[in-house]
Amino acid sequence: MRKILTLLMCIVLGIAQLNAQSQTATGKVTDDKGAAVSGATVTEKGTKNGAATSSDGSFTLKVKQGATLVISSLGFETREVAAATVVNVQLATDVKVLSDVVVTGVGYATSKKKLPISVETIGGDKLAATSTTSVAQALVGKVAGAQITSKEGTPGAPLNILLRGINSLRGGTYPMILVDGVEVRATDLGTLDLNNVDRIEVVEGAASSTIYGAQGANGVIQVFTKRGKEGQTKIDFSTSYASSSFINSGNLHQATTHGFLTDANNNVVDKNGVILAIKPDGTLTSGVNINGQTQAGLVWASTNPNTDGSKLYDHNLKYYDHLAQLFQSAATINNSLSISGAAGKNDFAMTLTHNHQESVIRDNGALDRTNFSANVGTELFKGFKLRSITQLVYSKNNFNPYFTAGVSGTFFRALNTSPFFDFNWKDANGDYPYSLVATPVSVNGYNPNYYKEYVFGYDQTIDVIQNIQASYKVNHFLDLEAKYGINYENEQQNVTYKNQTQNINLISLSSAGIGYFNGKEGSIGNFEYNTTFQNALTTATLHLDLAKDFHVKVPIVSNTQVGYDYRKNVYKQYYTYGDGLGLYPIYNMQQTSTQTISSDYVRPFVTFGTYLSESLDWGNVAGIRGGFRSDYSSAFGSGSTPQTFYNGNAYFRISQLGFWDKLASVIPEFKLRGGYGEAGIQPGAFDRYVTLSTRTIGTNLAFYTPSVQSNPNLNVEVSRESEIGTDLTVNLSKGKWFSNATFSGTYWKRTSKDVIYQVDAPPSTGGAGYLTNSFSLSSNGVTFILNLNVVKTRDFNWDFTANFNHQSSQIDAISTGQPIVVTSGAGYGNYVLQAGSKIGQLYGLKTFHDVNQTKQDGSLYISQANVGKYQVVNGILVDTATRGIQFTNQNYSYGDPNPKFNMAFINNFSYKGISLSFQLDWVHGSHLYNQMKEWMYRDGIHGDYGNKITINGQTAAFSAFYTSAYADMFGSINGARNSIKDYFFEDASFLRLRNLSIGFDVLRYTKIKYFKKLQFVLTGRNLWTLTKYTGMDPETSSGTTNSGFDRGVDYATTPNNRTYQVGLNIGF
Amino acid sequence: MKNKILYIITATVILLGQSCSKDELNVQNPNSPTPASAQTESGIEALGLGAVYQNGFNGISDSRYTGSWLGSDYFFLGPAYMDLLGDVISAEAANNITNQIGVPDYYIDDKGNTVSNTAPALGVARLNNSRTKAGSNMYFYEWAWMYYLNNACNGILAIVDGTTFSGDATTKKNTLKAWAYFWKGYAYSHIGSLYYAGLIKDNYVTTNNNFVSSAAMITAANANFDLAIAALGAVPTTADYNKVLAYLIPTPCQVGKGGLLTPTMWIHNINTMKARNLLVNKTVATMTSTDWNNVLTLANSGITSTDLVFTGRSSATNSWLSATSGSVAALTVGNPSSTTYKISERLIQDYKTGDKRFATNFSNANLYLNQKGGITYSTRYTLLDVASSSTAGTLGGVASKVVGNYELFIAGSYEENELMKAEANIMLSNIATGLTSVDNVRTYQGSGLAATSGVITDPALAYEELRKERRVGLLFRGLSFYDARRWGVITDIAQGGTGRKNCVVVSTTGTVNVNATINYHFLDYWDVPDDEISLNPPSANSAPVVNPKK
Repeated sequence: MRKILTLLMCIVLGIAQLNAQSQTATGKVTDDKGAAVSGATVTEKGTKNGAATSSDGSFTLKVKQGATLVISSLGFETREVAAATVVNVQLATDVKVLSDVVVTGVGYATSKKKLPISVETIGGDKLAATSTTSVAQALVGKVAGAQITSKEGTPGAPLNILLRGINSLRGGTYPMILVDGVEVRATDLGTLDLNNVDRIEVVEGAASSTIYGAQGANGVIQVFTKRGKEGQTKIDFSTSYASSSFINSGNLHQATTHGFLTDANNNVVDKNGVILAIKPDGTLTSGVNINGQTQAGLVWASTNPNTDGSKLYDHNLKYYDHLAQLFQSAATINNSLSISGAAGKNDFAMTLTHNHQESVIRDNGALDRTNFSANVGTELFKGFKLRSITQLVYSKNNFNPYFTAGVSGTFFRALNTSPFFDFNWKDANGDYPYSLVATPVSVNGYNPNYYKEYVFGYDQTIDVIQNIQASYKVNHFLDLEAKYGINYENEQQNVTYKNQTQNINLISLSSAGIGYFNGKEGSIGNFEYNTTFQNALTTATLHLDLAKDFHVKVPIVSNTQVGYDYRKNVYKQYYTYGDGLGLYPIYNMQQTSTQTISSDYVRPFVTFGTYLSESLDWGNVAGIRGGFRSDYSSAFGSGSTPQTFYNGNAYFRISQLGFWDKLASVIPEFKLRGGYGEAGIQPGAFDRYVTLSTRTIGTNLAFYTPSVQSNPNLNVEVSRESEIGTDLTVNLSKGKWFSNATFSGTYWKRTSKDVIYQVDAPPSTGGAGYLTNSFSLSSNGVTFILNLNVVKTRDFNWDFTANFNHQSSQIDAISTGQPIVVTSGAGYGNYVLQAGSKIGQLYGLKTFHDVNQTKQDGSLYISQANVGKYQVVNGILVDTATRGIQFTNQNYSYGDPNPKFNMAFINNFSYKGISLSFQLDWVHGSHLYNQMKEWMYRDGIHGDYGNKITINGQTAAFSAFYTSAYADMFGSINGARNSIKDYFFEDASFLRLRNLSIGFDVLRYTKIKYFKKLQFVLTGRNLWTLTKYTGMDPETSSGTTNSGFDRGVDYATTPNNRTYQVGLNIGF
Repeated sequence: MKNKILYIITATVILLGQSCSKDELNVQNPNSPTPASAQTESGIEALGLGAVYQNGFNGISDSRYTGSWLGSDYFFLGPAYMDLLGDVISAEAANNITNQIGVPDYYIDDKGNTVSNTAPALGVARLNNSRTKAGSNMYFYEWAWMYYLNNACNGILAIVDGTTFSGDATTKKNTLKAWAYFWKGYAYSHIGSLYYAGLIKDNYVTTNNNFVSSAAMITAANANFDLAIAALGAVPTTADYNKVLAYLIPTPCQVGKGGLLTPTMWIHNINTMKARNLLVNKTVATMTSTDWNNVLTLANSGITSTDLVFTGRSSATNSWLSATSGSVAALTVGNPSSTTYKISERLIQDYKTGDKRFATNFSNANLYLNQKGGITYSTRYTLLDVASSSTAGTLGGVASKVVGNYELFIAGSYEENELMKAEANIMLSNIATGLTSVDNVRTYQGSGLAATSGVITDPALAYEELRKERRVGLLFRGLSFYDARRWGVITDIAQGGTGRKNCVVVSTTGTVNVNATINYHFLDYWDVPDDEISLNPPSANSAPVVNPKK
């Protein structure tokens, strides 16, 4: 190493000294905001004489009298000025896009013009100012090549991120997250503070795998935090208040009418005519009611073809709007203070943000998150810089454990409670009843207030992201850089169940209530999770310009980077439970009668490797890159050999060729690019280690064989990707309107081999399955970005951006040749993973649309003789006698639920200090299985039951029609309950006004002393949705977050919020 | 200065390089023992415990199947299918198609009207015999649980001879062998008594595709029981035997009728199982006097009233059996409007007037009208938790959700053995002797019923006493389907079955019929589940895996 350095030093010193000059020009280079531009190149035009600006932007250069200085810097428009004794130059940001500087995926700052792969950059000011101040939320719709979906509305819930196709079935689709060059694995993207983000770069494909290794196969999102800039110390303060309410774009509601047995006065009565009333236990089942009368229970002839569900709840049973009883409008309050500045060789930026988000579920507490970040840098001596970037995050929510992120059960139960139950009704003891059953309806009815009365808990997380970087620009040729990052997360959850033994409802129903162990005696669960992730990256980059440095007459610039990358992740979990709490209000472990530890688990994972990347650029015209990376992994143990993967890519700027000069005024930029990359996804930490599981049974330890066997012969999953693309700038007119447009398009294709997934074993083996390299997958997609400068005048500016993304993934082969059945994380809905079909398909029964429906063997379901018994109603076939919808009794695939494409349309207007921007997101061709609706059909609770239809000339809200959708299949009334039916598989395409923001800059109109910025901002998020989907929110998904295949089920997930926000931004 | 920094950087690089030596990659799973850990005295005991109570009775953990469960472990579902088909309980929820597979094809009500099931259960069960139907495939469960149990026992047998023991190694090895062979016999008995074909699989993990008939499975079951008897015969030291057995049988289960069985008691338990294997796998009509004599011989050396048996009990913590959702009984206790399983009217009518067990266990406080299909589901009866029952004591009590209260009978019991004696004797025309056994069971369970021995002399009436007592006395012991099968009750009337006559059916609107006829029409032996067949297709010389009956 030292030898190399010495050698390089010699090369530097060997370079010819410059000739004597006749004038000294000194000056400072700043950007359009007055901040110093360091590292800018100042050259004497027509010569090789030049200098670079120092960190305060200053330079000194001896030039000939009357010379012209050329000042250039990456990301800025190059300027030429006449040399003078003092030359202060302000550089304008290069607005012809494609000129941004990109680091991610290439390893060192590179102009986008010379980038052979697609990397998307989003400036901090272009991110949506969401009330959640979550980086993840702010990215929705902003990244052309990504599908980022806000799959649930609970504050703090993670988002589904899919960059390029499905690579891995077990690993999911979550990309690698980098913060300032170092991987962050413990902390979720949604936890990072939006206020300190300078810009975000997204590399979607595997083409960057050489830099990031196996973990980069799902793409990389890199967040760059703000740094202090030269000038006066800046103090920025922003505050905002937002009000959120749940989205219900499909108008999901419970039926406001019913079809129960009633007397002449429209009282709901039992079979003997007794007017029904609630029982002392809060239920409406048979027994003695609060009026002292013995009732036999509600009568609902749901399959009787004459039952009409359009009776009003206007006598003994009333209608309660359960959504109104469950939800509220919630406040979100944000405060953020930033101080930044730079002087001489030091810079600093600090941000303190506090975010308070209430739950839209009534009386459900709030999420509080405090982020502190500090980015300090110094140049110890010329070329040697040290930087420390710290982010500390403390998050705590006191959401009810039954209404927290990822939990849908209670919401489901509330919606599945018949609307004649009042959630606010309390029994004689002042307690809420648990089960709100009214057999034969409301079977899964449970009072959400019961959970609030008897369960509480908290979830607190501490995140630390510490990143230390040292870089040394040894000389013109060589950059050395060492980065070390530690990312630590500690999460503590507590769930406490109070003693429920005195609850009248539980006693009456012999119900176990809720809790660990055996329910109603009360219990406590404490869960602790720790992740410590370390990433160390050292690189050496050698820049050689053959023309400049060696006077060779070829315009070749070479950049060589070697890197060494080390990552270690240690995950720990520890669960303790206590059983049995007294009736007195003290709730800690010491009050429990027995305690047990159910998990004490540690999972270390180490990987390290080296890489080499070489790029050669031919002037501004073309370039090629190539490299490889070799990684060791603890998944394979110490005796393993490293896995090596290659990549290569190239670009060609046709617009830089001589013949193009005539076209250059119309099409100043036309670039073709292409790349190939490989990445390996390593097996899980212990996937290869055969172990026995343990548990305690009674008082003794037991060993047992795990149901899914690990496999010592697993290989790494290999993903290979190719992309081709073009970047194009067109000058449309010379006027103010449509002056120019830039277009960027990429087509990509990837295959994944040896994808690890559990395959089924026959039960006689004694287990459910084993892990193996079982799947081959392939994906492809197209991404377009169009930026259009619609108008640009002195006062009025209008920019338009359209992002388009299409992608599709399919299963090419499964090693066993057998389809694999997987249940949705939502608990219901079977996916079948089958060779030759798209990933994530649901299988189920099909609705008949005419009498000619055939079975899978081609024979007809309905014989010619019986054709007359059926009628098509609203496009579906109904038996006119039973009024039931006809369904097949065999399963069919419903096709790919993933969107055909997603688009975003972003408009920014500014007029004299008033800015207006809005973003429309369009997701087309996605489908959701509306599991919630199906469940609400079961007991006649769904609003559809009040809708009238016409069958055989008779019009009524036929209960039998709707009930059949839940219960029937061909030839079998009630024979297919719980079955998946395409009746509930709905188009979930939507167009959503994601963001609407109006800003007013006060200082534009009146100067106020000390104030540098005073801006009012009104923001609306998710204000409007256009969809055919009949559930609450077409964007939600109840499947496992970031799953490769589990994205197609909606099972009572908390919908997203509609938010109105008012904000104030102040700068000093 | 510059050089210093360079040295620092270089040193950092080298240091990092050092710390990332390949040794650091040697990360074994630090959380779990390896298979080698089981090959020690304490290890194999832990394996023996886990083999039965975890791999066996809690072995299905795949969410495709467990995702739709309303209970936990084998005993909430495996025996529930028996009791659904045996018309002891019913279910309204569609989970695991428990609401459909027990619905008869039709019943004829008191007015002579035929009320038909639009979804005949036999067809529904077969339509769901597909791996892609996952949790709705009834045929999967018993098969999987029993083969998980069998495989785990093979794991014990594979290493027991190579394991070093302290003390009397022969005794300890034989105790573990008896344990493994007994549970293998148990698993094979369950497969052979329920499926049309099965697999004899005596290797650990590796399976085969030579399916054999259910009769051959029973032969294999009895062979394993005999190996267990042989191993128990080679147990000279009781202290070491007790030490091992005290580990193998969970401590919470070592109370009541459960506990550390002596080798003799264990052999009695095995004989009862062998008698059961013979009794339940032939219809009564085809039983010969030789068969009855064989049943009698085995039962005469079967479980006595003072023998301990294999039981399950819940405990507050570290329980393998859930008090509230781990058994058919637990899921039936309570107001039928909100329980998973509901008591059948046909069970209730089998209680004789004055039977104290009826008052102990049932009330008619809640009417449950099944208005969602399931033509025979409605019931007027509620199963009581004996812990909260106001009636005298818990003698003869069959259900409780209170931790540790409920005693689950896993294998044979004194009552079952005594009733096999009774049945054999009645069929061999020893009516009084047979009815004495019936009376013994009634007394044992505190029924308060008058003795029948010597009072009833008519063979048919005597057999009716036996039939009722099997229904009532062996409630929730997983035998009701076997009985319904051998009595011809489940066979389609059109195919020569008896169905059930003169029975109580409460209609969906609450009309009580007392003289109804039910035609069940269920499959006698189940087809092998597709979950096995599709992944392990039968070899050419395999026995048929699909029951030809329709």
